Amino acid sequence: MFEGFVDWFLRIFGSRRDIRLGIYGATNAGKTTLANKISMDFTGEPVGKVSQIPHETRVVQKKEKVEIKHNKKKILINLLDMPGLATKIDYKEFYKYGIRGKAAKKRAKEATDGVIEAIRWLSNVDTVLAVMDSTQDPLNQINITLLGNLEARKIPVIIVANKVDKKRAKPDAIREAFPQYPVVGISALKGKNLNGLYDAIAKYARRAK
Amino acid sequence: MKEKKFKMDFVSSETLNEKSQDKRIGFILSKVSDGSILVTDGVLKPEEEMELIKETMRKVDDGFPGIEVCSLKRQTKGVQLFMERVTDQTERFQTFIGNLRGKPAVKTSLRTGLTLIGPAKIIKKIKKNPNSFSVLTEV
Repeated sequence: MFEGFVDWFLRIFGSRRDIRLGIYGATNAGKTTLANKISMDFTGEPVGKVSQIPHETRVVQKKEKVEIKHNKKKILINLLDMPGLATKIDYKEFYKYGIRGKAAKKRAKEATDGVIEAIRWLSNVDTVLAVMDSTQDPLNQINITLLGNLEARKIPVIIVANKVDKKRAKPDAIREAFPQYPVVGISALKGKNLNGLYDAIAKYARRAK
Repeated sequence: MKEKKFKMDFVSSETLNEKSQDKRIGFILSKVSDGSILVTDGVLKPEEEMELIKETMRKVDDGFPGIEVCSLKRQTKGVQLFMERVTDQTERFQTFIGNLRGKPAVKTSLRTGLTLIGPAKIIKKIKKNPNSFSVLTEV
């Protein structure tokens, strides 16, 4: 009852903040594609640039006051598209994408800073969409460490099994690997099952305690 | 033809438990950035592993692209799980008090299991199953 009163009071006086929805995951899982899709659906504007080159997102990209309206429910979120998490960043990996020399080293340095920034933001997100590439093995250490951290911090998490439009996609492997979490299979690129994701956001997203 | 070698260090969890989190991460990274693959009979807590990733990123340079890490945590349930949670809470409380007193370097214990951490330059792939993992190296 008291909590209800506090909610009402804060809502009236406008200091109750929006839900900070962090989009986390390994590199090239499709985080920015998803952030853009959500943002385009509800604001008509994208969040950031998408690329096949790893570490395209090297700073946290924000879209504030995104009102998700779904099945008569409205949730106001601040969308936070995080740089991809990684345990290694080799500047030589960018060579195959035509980025060489100083530009490759600069990109690698910015990418390491991006990973650090994404980790720091873990203390400031309310709910996380953990994006995983359905065509890849889900039992990698980035996914395991990320989910372990979110559990320790009691941050609600929805696993987004992305790229289900691909032939090699195995969203069920993600469900088997992490049975204790809600898993939604989508294709951010093709816009497949975004309504299922919005259902899950409406159900599980909440402010951190 | 020049011989290609890599070094493996097997470190007991006791050795790592004796160190505070900062020193433990520093110890691991100094071994791995020197080219060793480190194996220990313990598992870092997820928060500590995230710190390890953060510190690794600070250390990445032209000659050190980062690390590969894989762990197998022993599944705990019942009394063991309860005790693990009690230990976690106690350590969090000790860290909180340590921070208040300006002495944040509190020792925390590793969880039961197995961890392998090595330089990404040498470890090319880790294939993990729920109860095992295999490592592909290239020297």
